Amino acid sequence: MAMELNEQEHAVLSLLSRHAGSPTVGDVAQKTGLDQAQVAAVAHTAKQRGWIDVTEKKRSELSLAPGAGELIAQGLPERRFLDRMPPGQPLSMRDAAGLARELGTALNEVLRYGGQRGWFRKAGGELHLTDEGKAAAGKPAPDERALQIVAERGPIFLDELEGLGVSEGAAAKLLAKRGNVAKTKVRTFRTLALTPVGREILSGELIVKRLRSQLTSEDLTTGGWRRIELKPYDVTLAAETAVPVKSHPFQRILEQTRRAFLEMGFTEMVSPMVETAFWDFDALFQPQDHPARDMQDTFYLARPATGRLPASELVERVKRTHEDGGDTGSLGWGYRWSEDRARRMVLRTHTTATTVRALAADPNPPRKVFCVGRVFRNETITYKHLPEFTQVDGIIIDKKANFAMLLAVLKEFYRKMGFQRVKFKPAFFPYTEPSAEVFVWMDSKKTWIELGGSGVFRPEVTKPLGCDVPVLAWGLGLERLAMQRYGLGDIRTLYWTDLDWLREVPLCQ
Amino acid sequence: MPVVAIGVERLNRFLGVSRPMAELVEALENLGCDVEDTAEVVHYRCAVCGMTTEKLAHEAPPKRCDQCCHQCDAALSEGSRQDVIRLDLLADRPDLFDTGGICRALKGVLGIEEGLPHYEAHPGTIVVHIDSALEHAESYRPHIVCAEVEMPPLDEEMLRELMRLQESLHWGVGRDRKLCSIGVYDLAAIEPPIKYTTIRPDGGTFVPLAYGTKALTARAILEEHPKGAGYAHLLSGLSAYPLLVDSRGQVLSMPPIINSEETRLKKGSTRLFVDVTGIVEDAPKNALHTLVCSMVEMGGLVKTVEVVQSDGRSSSWPDLKPRRQPIDLRDARRWLGLDSSNGELRRLFRKMRLSVEGEGDKVEVSYPAFRTDIRHPVDLYADLAIGVGYAKMPSAQLPTPTQSSQRPEELLANRVRQILLGMGCWEIMSLIQTTNDHHFDALRIEPKGEFILISNPKNSEVNIVRCHLMTGLLETFQKNRRKSAPQSFFEVGNVVLLEPGAETGTREERRVAFATMGPEAGFATVRSQTDGLLHELGVSGQYRAEEHPSFVSGRCAKMEVPGSAGVEIRGRLGEIHPAVLERFSIPYPVALAEITLCRVL
Repeated sequence: MAMELNEQEHAVLSLLSRHAGSPTVGDVAQKTGLDQAQVAAVAHTAKQRGWIDVTEKKRSELSLAPGAGELIAQGLPERRFLDRMPPGQPLSMRDAAGLARELGTALNEVLRYGGQRGWFRKAGGELHLTDEGKAAAGKPAPDERALQIVAERGPIFLDELEGLGVSEGAAAKLLAKRGNVAKTKVRTFRTLALTPVGREILSGELIVKRLRSQLTSEDLTTGGWRRIELKPYDVTLAAETAVPVKSHPFQRILEQTRRAFLEMGFTEMVSPMVETAFWDFDALFQPQDHPARDMQDTFYLARPATGRLPASELVERVKRTHEDGGDTGSLGWGYRWSEDRARRMVLRTHTTATTVRALAADPNPPRKVFCVGRVFRNETITYKHLPEFTQVDGIIIDKKANFAMLLAVLKEFYRKMGFQRVKFKPAFFPYTEPSAEVFVWMDSKKTWIELGGSGVFRPEVTKPLGCDVPVLAWGLGLERLAMQRYGLGDIRTLYWTDLDWLREVPLCQ
Repeated sequence: MPVVAIGVERLNRFLGVSRPMAELVEALENLGCDVEDTAEVVHYRCAVCGMTTEKLAHEAPPKRCDQCCHQCDAALSEGSRQDVIRLDLLADRPDLFDTGGICRALKGVLGIEEGLPHYEAHPGTIVVHIDSALEHAESYRPHIVCAEVEMPPLDEEMLRELMRLQESLHWGVGRDRKLCSIGVYDLAAIEPPIKYTTIRPDGGTFVPLAYGTKALTARAILEEHPKGAGYAHLLSGLSAYPLLVDSRGQVLSMPPIINSEETRLKKGSTRLFVDVTGIVEDAPKNALHTLVCSMVEMGGLVKTVEVVQSDGRSSSWPDLKPRRQPIDLRDARRWLGLDSSNGELRRLFRKMRLSVEGEGDKVEVSYPAFRTDIRHPVDLYADLAIGVGYAKMPSAQLPTPTQSSQRPEELLANRVRQILLGMGCWEIMSLIQTTNDHHFDALRIEPKGEFILISNPKNSEVNIVRCHLMTGLLETFQKNRRKSAPQSFFEVGNVVLLEPGAETGTREERRVAFATMGPEAGFATVRSQTDGLLHELGVSGQYRAEEHPSFVSGRCAKMEVPGSAGVEIRGRLGEIHPAVLERFSIPYPVALAEITLCRVL
C-alpha cells in the first residue's frame, strides 16, 4: 500500500535524503522554504514514527558585547600599551600611568589583563616587560584574533575557530573573563538524520498530500479533499468566548417568579401604578395617620391629584371599619376617617394594592392571585435604595386557608426559586394577623436575608370587601434576591444598564 | 426607625436568671422583636448635668450631652461599659420598648413566669383641673391623663431607662409628639392640685429643662431652646400654648415642648408625677398605660390621679384593669391551622402573658391595658402562633387546586422579547420615574402639562412618571457610549398616560422601544427591525411620514397596524435628532422605534 505523507513531511524527508551529514532544523527550514516551527513539527512526528533521528547539540556562540566594536578596532588596552612600551627598559609607575593616560585607557586594566597574559611584571616600583611580552609584540593572541573575526563577520561558534587557525580553548579561556568585550551563549541545535526506516519509506510508493488549514468548497465539489491533509491544531488553546444576546438578568428572575406562581395554579393580575390612597392604604386598614402614609415615605401626585372612590357602600364599610370596626368584630382605629384623604393619588407603595383590588373584584373562594409589579417609595437614589422596586404579591382565598398553609406555600415558592431553607419571624403589619417576615438562607454568604412580609389578611380588610373566608397574603421584594444571585453591591446596576455586565452575567446563574 | 439598646446584664437581672446573649436574642426574635445586632456600649458622663450619654464602643466619644444638650469642648468622660442587644422599635408594640416590658414578655416565653401580669392603680389624692381654653382652636390640646408613681429612689440606670422609654413612646405612640407627649416630674417639687391651662407666647416665664437657670418666655423657649426650636412646629398657628402649673404657679411643663428645670427628676427622687397630653383621645391613654406598667416592672407603685374637665366631669387615671375579649378556640385553630387541644391553647395564652376564663371552646381572654395592638380576636390568635413558634407550626394542607392564567400583555411581551433578542438587541430595564428635563427637555418635547407629576419627591432625581420609553434607551447609550459601536438595546415596559375621567385619572400601556447606535445606524435599520417584529407578530404595518421634535425631519414615520380590532399596535420610528444626541453625549447616530403593544389598564 502506498504510504501517505503530507507535503511538508515529504519535503523534509527528501531533503534529508539528499543532504550530506545531519543538517539542523534551521538548515532544513532554509533549504525547504518551510519555517522553523513547521520543520520542528514535522521532525516531532517523523521521529515518533521512527523515520528520522533527532540529535540535540549544544554550541557556544561568541558575539561582541554591546559597544565593544570600537574597543576592538582600537586594540585592547594591554595590547596598545605593549606596543608603546619601550623595549628593554622598565617604566616607573608614574611614567606607566602617564603612558596609560596618553593612550586614554586605565592603567589598572592594562596591568590586570597584561598581567594575566604574563606580559608585564611589577618589581621594585617599576614595570618590566617580560619575555612573553617581548614575544607577544606584534603577534595577536588567540582571543584577539577571535575578536577580530567576530568584529568582521559577526557572531561565530567557538567550534568554528579551530578551522580558522585559532585555538578554541585558549581563546575561550581568555575571553571568559572579559564580559565587557565579548559574550558566549550556549545554543541548542537539533540535527536531523534519516533512519533506515525513513530511507525505505522514501524509496517506496508515496502519496504526497497537500497540507492546508481550511477546506474549500472546491475541495469538496471536486473531490480534491482526498489529496489534502488538514493541519492539526492545538485543541487545548483558548479561543475568544462567543457572547449570545440575552434577556436582562433581572427580567429572568421576574420570569422565574411568574412561572413559579403559574405552576402553583395562580392567576396573574395587574392594577394601576398610579393608585388612589383608598386601594393602597385604606382598603388595607392602614389608618390615615399611619407613618407609612407620610409624605416622607409615599409619593403623592400633583397631577392627577385625586381619583374616584369605588361604590359608596364599599367606601362606607371601609370608613366604618377604620372608625369603630364596623361589623368586622374589631375595635377599629378610633378616629374620623376622611374620604378626601382616601381620594388622593399616590404611586402605589406595594402590589398589595393589586391583590386587594383582585379580592374586592371577586372575593369568592377558591382563588389564587399573584402580581409582579413595580412599587414606589420616596427614597433617595443610593447604592442601597431606589425610589422604586419590584414586588411579587399574592393572595389565596380559600375556605381551608390558614396561617400554617401560608408558610407552606411560601416555602414551596422559594424552593422553586432555588432556596432550600426558609424561615419566618413574627412581625407586625397593619393588615395581616398573624404576620411573618420571610427569610431565605444564602448559602454563598452563610446568612439569612429578609425578602418580605406575609400574613393572614385581617377581617378588617376582607369583610368590608365581601370576603368571609381567610385570605393569605404576601409581598416579597425581588431586587434583593437579584442582588444576592448576581453578587451585586449596588442596586443601581439593575436599572442603569452596563453592556459589559449584560454580556458577563451567565444565563444560568 | 429608632433603635434601642437593651443591656444584657440588666435584662438578666430583671429576669432573675442568667441566660447567654444568644439565647436572649433568639427568644426576642421569636417574640417578633427586630434584633438589629448585638454590641458593646459605653456610657459617657456629662460634667454639667451628671447624666450619661450612650455610644457604641467603636464610635467616637460624644461631644454633646444627649440629656442637657450641653456642648463640651473636650469629650465627655468615659463611664461604664456593657453588652447590649440593639432592637429596632416595633411601632405596633410599645409595650416592648424597654427592659421592663421586654422582660415581662420574655419571662413568658422562657417559662419563668406565665399568665396575666398584675397591675393595679391604687387610689391617689392628686387632682388635675383642665382649663376650657385647651378646647379652643387657638390652643387645641384637650386631652390629658395622669398618674402618680412611687418609685424606689431613682438611680442613674432607672433615670436613663425612663427617659429613653419616654422618647420611644413619643416616637411610637406620639408620632414624634404630634399625637401625644409625656412629662415625668419629681412630685417633691410640685404642690397639687395641678392646673392644665394655657400661656400666651409672652405671657410669663419659666426655667426650661437643661438650659441654665434663666427663666424664659414661651416665645423665647420656642426660638432659643434646642428642644423648643425642634418641636415649635407642633404649636405653630396657636396663639396660646398648653401649660401645666401647680397650685403655687410653679410650671411643670409646656406640652409638648419641654418640662421645667425645677420639677426635673433627680437621682433619689421617689414620688413621680406623670402626665400625657394629646390632640386625640386614645394615644395619651395608651402611652400612659404603657409607661406606668413599665415603671411597675422597675419597682413602682401606681396611684390614680383625678382629671376634672372644665364642665366638672371627672375621670380617674390610669385605668389598668385588664381588657377582655371573648373568642372561640375553634376559630383560633382554623385561622392558624393548629390542631392543639383547648388545654394546649390555654397554656399558650398564659405563656404570652394573657389569661383565659371559661371552659370549652368559647372562652374570654384577658389582656393588659397596654396591649393596644389587640383590636380583634385575630390579634389574640397571632399571640398563639408566636407562642407555638413559627418554626414549629404544623405542616399544612395545600390550597384548593385552581387553574393558572397569565396576563395577555405578559405573553405578548415575552414574544416581543424573544424576537428582539433574536435580532441582536440587548434588553434593558429602567426606572418608571424620571425627570422633566430628561423626559421632555432633552428630547425637545413640549409636554403641555400632559404627564403625571409627583408633588413631594425627596430630591430632584425623579419628579414625573414616564409616558414614553425613549429616555431609558438614550440614557443607556449615554452610559455605554465609550464601548464599541454598533450597540442595540430594547426595553419592554409600561408607560402611564393621563386619562381624565378614568378611576385613577390615568391609563397604562405596554410598549416596546428598541434602538441602534452606530456609524451606520439610520432609518433603514429601524424600519427593517420594525418590519421584522411585525412580521413575527403576524401583522403588517402601514407607514407614513411624521414630524416629531425628537427625530430628524423627514426621517421619522408613524406606523399603524390597520384593521385589526383588538390589536392596538402602533408606534413611531426614525433617526434621533442630533440636538437630542448631543444632550445625551451620544457619539453616533441613533435609530429608534417605540411601539405600543396593548393597553394594560
